Amino acid sequence: MLLGIIAVLGLVALYVWSLYNQLVTIKTRIRASIQEIGNQLKRQADLIPNLTAAVKGYFKQEKEIFALISEARKAVMEALKESSAQKLVDASEKMQQALAPIRALFESTPQLRSVEPTVKLMDEVRDTADKVMYARRTLIDLTADYNIKIVTFPSNLVAKLFGFKPETGLKTPGEGEHLEVSAEELKTPKVGESL
Amino acid sequence: MINVYELQDSNKRRSALVIAVFIAFVLGVGWVFARLFDYGPGAIGIALIFAGLMSFASYWWGDKVILTLSRARPADRNRDFQFFTVAENLAMASQIPMPKLYVIEDTAANAFATGRDPRHAVVCATTGLLQKLDRSELEGVIAHEISHIKNYDTRLMSIVTILVGMITLLSDWFLRGARFSRGSREKEEGSLGAILLLVGVFLALLSPLIAKLMQLALSRRQEFLADSSAAILTRYPEGLARALEKIATDREPLEVANKATAHLYIVNPLKNLHSGVGWFAGLFNTHPPVEERIRILREMR
Repeated sequence: MLLGIIAVLGLVALYVWSLYNQLVTIKTRIRASIQEIGNQLKRQADLIPNLTAAVKGYFKQEKEIFALISEARKAVMEALKESSAQKLVDASEKMQQALAPIRALFESTPQLRSVEPTVKLMDEVRDTADKVMYARRTLIDLTADYNIKIVTFPSNLVAKLFGFKPETGLKTPGEGEHLEVSAEELKTPKVGESL
Repeated sequence: MINVYELQDSNKRRSALVIAVFIAFVLGVGWVFARLFDYGPGAIGIALIFAGLMSFASYWWGDKVILTLSRARPADRNRDFQFFTVAENLAMASQIPMPKLYVIEDTAANAFATGRDPRHAVVCATTGLLQKLDRSELEGVIAHEISHIKNYDTRLMSIVTILVGMITLLSDWFLRGARFSRGSREKEEGSLGAILLLVGVFLALLSPLIAKLMQLALSRRQEFLADSSAAILTRYPEGLARALEKIATDREPLEVANKATAHLYIVNPLKNLHSGVGWFAGLFNTHPPVEERIRILREMR
């Protein structure tokens, strides 16, 4: 009888222990993914001056396009200072939109694609954009995972015991994040096919 | 249209079912042999150890052995930019450590993953693959390989290989032993003993083949599972579908692949050597037909 009680208590303690560790780990990963979004955006912003220099003279309305880009860059820099996930993601979306004409130009101009450093630059820009997207998705998945654990039984008891609060994460449109991302993903190959 | 998450769940269930049937089969065969032959747990243990020793090397040093066999070189961020960065992103998205990346200098398009757990994982691609695929297609392929890593498929297949080896050894011993020990079996209880003996001979002859077929079925299931996990990871099944199309139409055989390493690749690298058609030939394939994989990927959403 006593042994049984001890065994049950031991199991409960093990459960609390492992759940606590899980929650703390997810929290750390959420913070890491926000940081990753920031890092990649910073990298992207650093690449921008080189990129605009490389495509100078190829556009008709160059001033407007470059103005939009530098505006987006400013937004990124401001968001970086605040390090709020939502602001970072909004800024990155702005940046993606501003960079779209450059991407289109790059796809339609063979001369540009034959210049080694420019190709490298575009590759880096695409990669940082991908990294932002994946980091953002990781952030969303982790936040959902964490928030579900906090409200469902019996993990909510443990969460309450240690005072875990729900994470805000990112605001997502009601339609679901994956739909939005897949639409965004579809854009890139289309540019290539329109050649 | 199939929901990706439901497909993933159904793939997981079917993999688990194949594994359960396989384990039940191994236990059943072991039990019949033990019963018939007074093997006792000792002999089964010895068979397991024998079979294990043979596969242990490939399990523990598998990554290194295969890389040496395939003459691979480590990937470089500058030289293999797309490969390197895509793998980096997908490893991050699937929350596993960055796998070691290797490149095989071969114009045939293919890729594989190996390593006993995500910490010792290796993803390897041929230069042909890296040249022929664009970034979204490459993302699909690498996501498929990363899913293999995340699902511990290398570990699973190594264990299955050990069990198949054990069955083969046991039935081999049984067939050899049965010839000599008939005299001592005579005093065994009548009809049950006779039926068991018949079943034993039957199993001894067929079980290695059955076990091998189950292993291949499992291998094909894990391919479907990795495809659906890749679709979840990239949210873009079309990338992998197009990549599979390109790889399948590429008729060039991969020179460094052989029967022992074939099941690791994303598409069977020995395609030119197998020309069998139909259901029966399908039983002996390590991979499901590419057309079917593409069809399923295109139906996802």
